[in-house]
Amino acid sequence: MAYLGLVWTVARKDLLIEFRTYERLAAMGAFAVLVGVLFNYSIDTAQVRPQSIAAGLIWMTILFGGMLGLGRTFQLEQEDGALSGILQSPIPLDALYLGKVLANFVLLALIAGVVFVVFGAFFNLRFAGSVTALVGVVGLGVLGFVALTTLLSAVATRTSMGESLLPVLVFPLVLPVVIFGTTATGRLFAGRPVAEVSGSIRMLAAFSLIFLVAGAGMFRFVIEE
Amino acid sequence: MPLVVVRLWPSCPMLPRRATSTMSFGLEAEGLVRTFGGLRAVDDVSFQLAPGELLTVFGPNGAGKTTLLRMLAGTLRPTAGDVRVAGEAADVAERAWRARVGVVSHQSLLYAQLSARENLYFYGRLFGLKDLGDRVDARLEAVGLADRASTPTRNLSRGLKQRLALARALLHDPEVVLLDEPYTGLDAHASAILRDQLASLKDGRRTVVLVTHNLGQGLEIADRVAIQFRGRFVALEDRGSWDAVGFERFYRATLEETQ
Repeated sequence: MAYLGLVWTVARKDLLIEFRTYERLAAMGAFAVLVGVLFNYSIDTAQVRPQSIAAGLIWMTILFGGMLGLGRTFQLEQEDGALSGILQSPIPLDALYLGKVLANFVLLALIAGVVFVVFGAFFNLRFAGSVTALVGVVGLGVLGFVALTTLLSAVATRTSMGESLLPVLVFPLVLPVVIFGTTATGRLFAGRPVAEVSGSIRMLAAFSLIFLVAGAGMFRFVIEE
Repeated sequence: MPLVVVRLWPSCPMLPRRATSTMSFGLEAEGLVRTFGGLRAVDDVSFQLAPGELLTVFGPNGAGKTTLLRMLAGTLRPTAGDVRVAGEAADVAERAWRARVGVVSHQSLLYAQLSARENLYFYGRLFGLKDLGDRVDARLEAVGLADRASTPTRNLSRGLKQRLALARALLHDPEVVLLDEPYTGLDAHASAILRDQLASLKDGRRTVVLVTHNLGQGLEIADRVAIQFRGRFVALEDRGSWDAVGFERFYRATLEETQ
């Protein structure tokens, strides 16, 4: 219980600061809306049926937008040495990692909601599948992406290349999330039964769990010297 | 390993050495070494401090003072040697051990977007403190920030921020307090206030290590003084009756003889 309290303490602090400054949410939200507008004008709907490519566009927008915000996960800690302050406390480092993941998950889930609304409005998408299954797919996909990116953001922060290194580290590893997330979302948009996406959902759950466990286990080697 | 005292200035005022063998030490360092590649940033540093003692470590930039402090804080693993608090060896992997140490740095280690009170609450929860509300109020009162408790840290002056940093470092009532250039960036008035706050740390319970290259401020509140150069302690003495001028002469002569 005390452990979960520590996870929540870290997440609460990050969310409190974010909902005061809106620095990361504003960047990710603006990106999502602008990409939606650009895709709207760049796709010839007479040639391409938006419904059939929407899942891929939505997931790419979530991931690219997420990179903008999640890449700055440890910026708060760097501003006046706060990371040193945390490292001098007895908090288990996996609890610090999980707190960061929780805060990032909340922020990116909000952005994912914005992305679905924006793309739905611009492309007149009709959703015929199970909403619960869609929430599960998006939730698990976002969790896997966030678990991976939070760890690699700590790696990138420790290098001289900083944020510019992050996409190079993240994109090759996040491929399973893209494949299964896009497949499941596309099928749900097409009104296919949940049974047809349950395999993808299980794979998303497995990869999210792997990224979370690996992240929690490896975080201390990344963050401590 | 015996305590090594290097005397390079025979006429310096000295108090009799303490009998170290039977004392219960607040903080001990034994043969501390830290290398980065081929560089020995800290080279065979040993000392013993009784509870209530304040050691000031002087030295030029790059002498290894901050590296030494990070090993004492348990945040940097020594290449060789041990750190002990009240006889118990520090273990970098054992995070609970860190609750025995409080650190004030030249950086505030605070979140600019949180208020003074929110910062202390956050750190208090990380340390798992009980009665957090009372502790936070008491610490804010002690550093004269009770009326600024709700002010975002970014709106505090450098001097007030350092006082809040001190409150943060003492919130969990540590046995050892480590101060890394705490006067950096402070004007004379803010320095004087902080010096009084730091002097109040000498309550007989806490062991304090202050690292600075400001000879006057460091000497003022010291019980013992060390000079670190190229990683080594080239002098470790009782403060005695040195005045600022005499100590500056000693400091310069020590560095010249060592080079």
